[in-house]
Amino acid sequence: MSSSKRITKELNDCLNSPPPSITISLPSESNISLWHITLTAPPESIYSPGKFGLVVQFPPEYPFKPPTITFATRIYHPNITNESNGSICLSLLKTDNWKPSTKIVTVLEAIRQLLVEPQPDDPLETRIAEQYKNDRKEFEKEARAYVGRYAKGPVKFGTEAGAAGGGGGGGGEGAQQQQQQQQQQQQAS
Amino acid sequence: MYEPDPAAQFIHQVSAGYSLPQTLPQYTFDETPLRLTDRRGRGGGGGYGGLGGPGVGGAAGRSLLYSPIFSTPASANTAGVVGPASSTAGHGHFNFHTTSATTASALTSSVPATTHHRSSPPHFAIQKMEPTPEDLVAQEAAAREYQPQLEGPFVGEKTPSTAITNEYAKADPIYIQKTAVLPQTYSHYRPIQGDGNCGWRAIAFGYFETLVKGGNKGQIEAEKRRLEDLNSYIETIGGHSQYVYADFVEETFLLLDRVAALIGDPEQAMREVYATFNNSEIGNAIMYHFRLLASSYLKGNQDTYAAFVEHEGGVHGYCSSVLERHQVEIDHLGLSLLVDVLLKPVGFVLKVAYLDRSPGSEVNSYHLPEEARDRHPSTLGPIIHLLYRPDHYDLIYPVEPEPIPEPVNVQVHRVSFSPTFDIASAPVAMPSYGINMGVLGMLPGFHGPPPGLAPTLLDTSPSPLSAYSPSPTSTWITSPFPEPPQQAPPVSVQAAPVPMSIPIHTAPAVAPAAPLQTHPLRFSEYCQLPEYVENDTWREPSFQTSTFRNSHFNVAHYNNPNFQPEEYRPDAEDYDAPQRGSGKKRASV
Repeated sequence: MSSSKRITKELNDCLNSPPPSITISLPSESNISLWHITLTAPPESIYSPGKFGLVVQFPPEYPFKPPTITFATRIYHPNITNESNGSICLSLLKTDNWKPSTKIVTVLEAIRQLLVEPQPDDPLETRIAEQYKNDRKEFEKEARAYVGRYAKGPVKFGTEAGAAGGGGGGGGEGAQQQQQQQQQQQQAS
Repeated sequence: MYEPDPAAQFIHQVSAGYSLPQTLPQYTFDETPLRLTDRRGRGGGGGYGGLGGPGVGGAAGRSLLYSPIFSTPASANTAGVVGPASSTAGHGHFNFHTTSATTASALTSSVPATTHHRSSPPHFAIQKMEPTPEDLVAQEAAAREYQPQLEGPFVGEKTPSTAITNEYAKADPIYIQKTAVLPQTYSHYRPIQGDGNCGWRAIAFGYFETLVKGGNKGQIEAEKRRLEDLNSYIETIGGHSQYVYADFVEETFLLLDRVAALIGDPEQAMREVYATFNNSEIGNAIMYHFRLLASSYLKGNQDTYAAFVEHEGGVHGYCSSVLERHQVEIDHLGLSLLVDVLLKPVGFVLKVAYLDRSPGSEVNSYHLPEEARDRHPSTLGPIIHLLYRPDHYDLIYPVEPEPIPEPVNVQVHRVSFSPTFDIASAPVAMPSYGINMGVLGMLPGFHGPPPGLAPTLLDTSPSPLSAYSPSPTSTWITSPFPEPPQQAPPVSVQAAPVPMSIPIHTAPAVAPAAPLQTHPLRFSEYCQLPEYVENDTWREPSFQTSTFRNSHFNVAHYNNPNFQPEEYRPDAEDYDAPQRGSGKKRASV
């Protein structure tokens, strides 16, 4: 078996019964192990009506290693790093917790649920988590401001995301590209 | 005030006390002194009052987070570990000022010292030790990307199990004892990579290997049908989608097909199994199929097994976080489940030999299913043997009943202490003994011993014994006679009464046959025949008779032109004695 076989099945599964408020596209027809996902924030979350771009990268060892999922759109969230290439702290996706039998649909739903219900006790951004716990109003205000700044309009992935960020500029774009390349190299090795 | 202990010792203590996670990244150890030196600058202003003081303590704690000692990703651990570190920081300053030690090593050594003196509680100024988010992210990233270096194939070649004995030669005495006797029972082992899957991989490999050994095509086809039926079990009871498990299951069936097709050629079939298991994708898939089987079987038989689940998440938590996770080691419950769902229906038995530090001279063995233990091995089906060492499983193979070994192997078998071969080799040793007798028969004037002479000879000439027997120890061990050493002395007695023909005639006859040995007795130059000196075949006769000893041919005799008095050497006798003693001991083994 090869990873592409399973990924194809996962893709079909996602396309046949699409999870709510999620659309999937492949940036390149020839590379099935890189997905672009548009996640519309659930209405019950403070991030609504923001649209967030997620990049899913399947390693060659998939499903024996977890896919890497990052936020291409910046988001103000305790469990997602506050940068243009946001890593997600999701226990399902950690190497230590990953199960080869986990379906991608399950993972995407968990990420969606993370927008509704942040987990400040397992934070990546401790400052935001503190704020979430102690000063919810200020947190929500900041989160909405981020949505207005970054998560409006058409979702951008990868290299275009820097332009959408506005303030990032050319340098940020290059750095982000590099980061992605590094990630891919790590996955390949 | 303090005794400088090696910093390494401290590191050991910390890692033992706080049980750092195994996935800890390998940091270089160079950072600690640098950080401590760094702190010195801060301490200069604040004197040594920084005993957990807010500014110094916090900074020290944070900087120490990067040192190898205190880098634990879990925040709970961080708080616990950093506490004592901050207390040592204060003492570090103190030592620095009083001793004016400027080298980094001196500062480093002060760390263990203060820790020994003050077993200070870990929650010392904890709230100051909060690492920054960047620290946590960096640490988490490092921990996430850390991969232990694993060597070798997933499944290794069959290897003589004496390699395990050698591996443990310098270990704990219990290990030495247990591994020394291991090759008696298990002649070979097959190393399995320790990637966290070894137990699953070993059993999966053993399953296919046993099917190949069975050589029964019908059995393999029946197994395929049985596993196909279990697919619906994985789906309905296990709750896994068809498209998820299908990929894994498919590989098992493909390998079963290939093995069935090669059933007439077991060697080729084993090569196929070996290659398949060393292909990471396919091997992992087969293993994962078996994981799913075990997990589904647990879910379907909760009445039987639920009581054994020791997991906070209950049966489902155990399934999803232990059984169904790649690279999570099999535990005893997992073994039971896999045996019950995979091996028991086909009649295979799993026998696990535990090599650990529990008291005893041999490895403890455990049968799965348990009822197999009380039944005679001949009534059991094929057995898959595993060797368990803490946290690791390898496949082992018992000694196969072999035909009686060749006589040449006597020496080798003595080393392995194999009781079977002792009996077999006994008759072998005796003929070689007889050959020596034949050589003696060539001596001119070979007669039976004069009865009156014998006791004296026994006393005065102990050493020829070793000269006449090529491998005295092996003779003693394998000899069926109760007192083997007494069996040998008559040889010297028979050799003794050669009258006056020594040395010229006897020496050529005996010397080539006798094993080369240096002997305290040396012949004078007058005794050496030129042709033997030239041919370099001349050896000093390595036997000694009392007749010769008392003649003037002996340099120790005062009439000898090269008279050289004998020295009293107690060592020489002592050297001889243990050999015999150990020989007797071994013979009784």
